[in-house]
Amino acid sequence: MTLLNPNIPESVRAVAADGTQLRYALMEMAGQMDDIITLGRGDPDLPTPPHIVEAANRAMREGRTGLTPVQGLPQLRGAIAEHMRACNGLPVGAENVMVTTGGQEGLFLAIQALIDPGDEILVPDPRYTSYDDAIRRAGGEMVMVPTDREDAFNLEAEAVEGAITPASKALLIVTPSNPTAGIVTEDRLRAIADVCIRHNLIVIVDEIYGRIVYEPWRHFSIGSLPGMAERTITLDAFSKAYAMTGWRCGYAAAPENVIDAMARVKAVTTGPVATVSQWAGLAAITGPQDCVGDYLKIYTKRRAVLLDGLDRMGFAYGEPRGGLFVWADSSSTGIHAAELSYLLLKEGRVLIFPGTAFGENWREYVRITMLEPIETLKEAVERMLPVLERYRV
Amino acid sequence: MKPPQTLSRPLAGRVAGDQPHPPAPSPMLQGGGAQLPPNVIEAAVAALERGETHYTDRPGIPEFRAWVADHLAERFGLRIDPTEVTITCGSTEARFVTMTLLAEAGSAVLCPGDSSRIRGALHILGAEIVDSVQDDVSLLYLSPDVYRETSIELLQRAEETDWWIVYDLSFAKTAPPFHPAQNEKLASRVVTIDSLSADLAGWRLGWMAGSAAALRLRAGKQAITICTTAVSQWAGLEFLRSRKS
Repeated sequence: MTLLNPNIPESVRAVAADGTQLRYALMEMAGQMDDIITLGRGDPDLPTPPHIVEAANRAMREGRTGLTPVQGLPQLRGAIAEHMRACNGLPVGAENVMVTTGGQEGLFLAIQALIDPGDEILVPDPRYTSYDDAIRRAGGEMVMVPTDREDAFNLEAEAVEGAITPASKALLIVTPSNPTAGIVTEDRLRAIADVCIRHNLIVIVDEIYGRIVYEPWRHFSIGSLPGMAERTITLDAFSKAYAMTGWRCGYAAAPENVIDAMARVKAVTTGPVATVSQWAGLAAITGPQDCVGDYLKIYTKRRAVLLDGLDRMGFAYGEPRGGLFVWADSSSTGIHAAELSYLLLKEGRVLIFPGTAFGENWREYVRITMLEPIETLKEAVERMLPVLERYRV
Repeated sequence: MKPPQTLSRPLAGRVAGDQPHPPAPSPMLQGGGAQLPPNVIEAAVAALERGETHYTDRPGIPEFRAWVADHLAERFGLRIDPTEVTITCGSTEARFVTMTLLAEAGSAVLCPGDSSRIRGALHILGAEIVDSVQDDVSLLYLSPDVYRETSIELLQRAEETDWWIVYDLSFAKTAPPFHPAQNEKLASRVVTIDSLSADLAGWRLGWMAGSAAALRLRAGKQAITICTTAVSQWAGLEFLRSRKS
């Protein structure tokens, strides 16, 4: 591997060891440049479906914008519980559900409610590093559980069990995964559930991409398995499936005493979710669901275009089975991923994220989103190819 | 299967039953709210119609941040760059982020006035609230409702220390007679908090502005909620602009 390019600006270099800040530094750099194709942030380019926007407009015009209970609008909590029972098989009532300010806050609240200083939390590697801060603030210790490309970044029960120590308290699963786009399959989740029950581990599972899963794969909720409801906190949000990132509306399902604790923390962290966003969320979860399938069809086509481009670039990848990303092996370039991302931004005017933004050891991987129209994705590939040819070691 | 009531393992100590809890959730208003001026609603509707449904800039939309910087300049003569302003989910998030990032665990927070709004955050952090000066103070929390003489005395004391100072203008019952950041010796250690909680409570809008820690505070907010609700920011901006005009 070559050393980091000395031309990489200090604003990026200074935060290279912090995955989240590295991503933001690259986004800010891209924001100051013209004509950039942004395949970095996981923000769907598609619009929030019109019936959801219309429901929000109605709520605003009718004055339904006052403060709600901190756990969320009762109607929305009920609708979420019904959805999670019907679609995810979770044995939950409204009392097991709370509305959160996006999925990320759900994780923050769950960690605050569960993790004491010195507790270990098992985290598949690579990871969504934005969660690091919540774990650090609670005094928790992350213990990495390896996953690999040959296994499409599926999680193995043996690897989980091998990482358990007397200090282990919880396992964090993100399925489909950000950044790898792998899913943890039902058979693996069943084996992992056995391990968790045997070792009395709590599972925090982020299923925000659970409705963006590509054929023939299926999403499965570990909290639906026998013996898991009392040890699982399931996190989700409207952000990805309904293209609602800016509304900041997510939800958590958990045993009642966990929801009570999370609500008490939320009361002093951010208070209730914006009311208009909750009405929008209610319309999303109770209204027509065609939009979710329509968006999935769009992503499926984009995924094929992007994978074709990666083949042309000589990048290997584990099969992306869900989510909005491709996690690609860039080792054929011989260039450190941070430097590669910098070069592709500076000279190719394409923003992607280096693997090191998702774990220190991923110097030969990049994360690329499919959140632009097909023609733009094709253009991005054409822009990246000559840069790769110029610098390939 | 029955809905689960109790987790299979104990909760964290900071929220466990035998520990003092953060304040209970706010009283229910069941989604009702005062009718807002039509221009505010129409600004929110227009924002949605032009597709403002995505993440905003992490610290907030530039127009809102510029309004906050201008307001603090006009009201108090402060020079705060819009890049030092972060829009938050109500003043609750601004207080939580500033308290938990600027105060130190195990230290004391000096609060000569009403401490009810910071008690929960400091309980989670593991910091103590005191109402008089002592050696382990790491942060001074002031609001305009504290007696002017008391505030002046504590700010004079702050000049000799490295305390952070949080000046909370939200929920103030009295007009602010001065601003701690007007003292140049203190300005880089002063964070201003304010909000639209009195007028737009359900929209969850607040902000934190200024200080040498501004970028750290922005990152702290990002780690919890990424950004503040886009449509709320556009509604709030219109509310502030029309109130001013």
